[in-house]
Amino acid sequence: MKVLILSKEFRDGEGVSEYCKNIAEHLVEKGNEVTILSFDDGSYYSTRKEVEVRRVPVPFEGDNIYNWSMILNNELKRQAAELGEEKFDIVHANDWTTVPGGVTLAKHFNKPLLLTVHSTENERGFNEDHSEIISELEWQGVYDADKILTTNEGTKNSVLFDLDAPDEKVEVIDPYTENWRERVLKNYQNLVKQQKAPVNQA
Amino acid sequence: MKPLFITWEYPPIKAGGIAAHCEDLATTMADQGHEPIVLTYGPEKETEYRDGVEIHRIPSTNNAENTLAWAMHLGHQIEKKAIQLYKQKDFDLVHAHDWMTVSAATGIKNTLSLPMVFTVHSTQKGRDGIDSQYQRTIHNLEWYGTYEADQVITVGREFSEEVKHTFEVPDGKLNYIPNGVNLEKFDQHNASFNKNNYALDWEEIILFVGRMYPQKGPGHLIEAMPEIIDQNPHAKFIMCGSGATEHYKNIAKNHVGDKVYFPGYVSDKDLLSLMKNARMTVAPSVYEPFGIVPLEAAACETATVGSYTGGMKDTIIHEYTGLHTYPEDSNSISYQVNRALDDPGWTEWLGDNARERVEDNFRWEQISAWTTGVYKKTITN
Repeated sequence: MKVLILSKEFRDGEGVSEYCKNIAEHLVEKGNEVTILSFDDGSYYSTRKEVEVRRVPVPFEGDNIYNWSMILNNELKRQAAELGEEKFDIVHANDWTTVPGGVTLAKHFNKPLLLTVHSTENERGFNEDHSEIISELEWQGVYDADKILTTNEGTKNSVLFDLDAPDEKVEVIDPYTENWRERVLKNYQNLVKQQKAPVNQA
Repeated sequence: MKPLFITWEYPPIKAGGIAAHCEDLATTMADQGHEPIVLTYGPEKETEYRDGVEIHRIPSTNNAENTLAWAMHLGHQIEKKAIQLYKQKDFDLVHAHDWMTVSAATGIKNTLSLPMVFTVHSTQKGRDGIDSQYQRTIHNLEWYGTYEADQVITVGREFSEEVKHTFEVPDGKLNYIPNGVNLEKFDQHNASFNKNNYALDWEEIILFVGRMYPQKGPGHLIEAMPEIIDQNPHAKFIMCGSGATEHYKNIAKNHVGDKVYFPGYVSDKDLLSLMKNARMTVAPSVYEPFGIVPLEAAACETATVGSYTGGMKDTIIHEYTGLHTYPEDSNSISYQVNRALDDPGWTEWLGDNARERVEDNFRWEQISAWTTGVYKKTITN
């Protein structure tokens, strides 16, 4: 199994980064290949040497996180395309900040897309200038992804009711529970198996 | 060749000059045996085949806080469409027009590993500055477009220098290709026109066409009006274009009363009639990367009095196809307009020369060939 993980940032001590790192380290222990793509903010990160980490600069200063993220994703796409599709069987995006890259890479390379929603704009208060367009992107990401993970029931409810996801597409995997990483891996395996099934050739 | 055009506007949707530019260029390329595909904005998902061009319309969002976020969102939707199309057909490259399409084009370039050509029609710095953070972000996006593009095209010779210095574009990457005029469109036009809707029988129309913003300089023309009316009472100013119309209308009415008329929105049909019937057009722009109005007027055999700035340095030849004025100088405008009014025979001769020059130098067939030449360079590199 070869997994491409997209995360806005990858640095020690940050929540989403630690989540990705935990999954990645578990995967390589089990003999899988993992590549993590993220923004290079210059901060320190550590992980097992088998985990390939590519942090990229973003040569664009945006006036807000929404516009900046859209260009970040274009830089992530470049990295992924350079790696080549043989380097991944599945794309795992994290939050809306990596939805555009996750969606287009999965579509172009015919790979399944797993999206972890760590929190939704509704949960964060929906009170930023760009909340509406961010929420719309979350909605689209949830629509385009083959499977959604959340880390708690509250976020799952928001994904179901605010972002209109069908119940069977969303699973809670709490990273403070036992065997959570095995469950993530299981999801990867199922999605790749489904993707390869002949019925999906269209 | 199979270029993928990315433009936020394509006729019948149009606000600025990019729509007409893209349509004329794509249509001419199709005539020459190429296969351009256009991805553009539309309120509904739609596919259309028109004049040999395949056009896909893609909706954006109603939730954007501003145009920039709207354009970013549209970019993601356009890229998804491009990926879907790419499964059935090849493109040779992606060709973007202005900052609104930079996120779409760079995304497509990176995901599909295609070369990219970027046409810069104007810059934020030139349009209204880069003072606010919002304006600077647009400026940054323009830079990112020139940085990511394999080849950059600019529409004006002097503007080419501006783009080169503003964005530090290396020489080998920069190409000057002017805009063109679709002469057929002007020649086929013979709609009936009631001059009395705009002017009295004995009046001579002096035409302004452009958005009513400082960049286009309507205020300088208005300042020049009393001096012109003094010397040539038969002059009548017709000010076509949207924007801050009320603002300029009030000032102009105070200056010259009924000798100026702001018709508001004017249909293409009437606009062409006005251009053909006008004694001259006046283009008092402060900033004008290219400026299509002098060429459109020329297609109608009408001379232009235009500022000596940007593209108009090339599109007007002083005392041969029109007259130059000093930019932001109303005395210069009144002086040159009066010269043209004083000698109608000479002004007609200027208009005839202008038409001839457009026929020789600003045809889409030629511009399209230059553009595909840039494509070839992009692909072989």
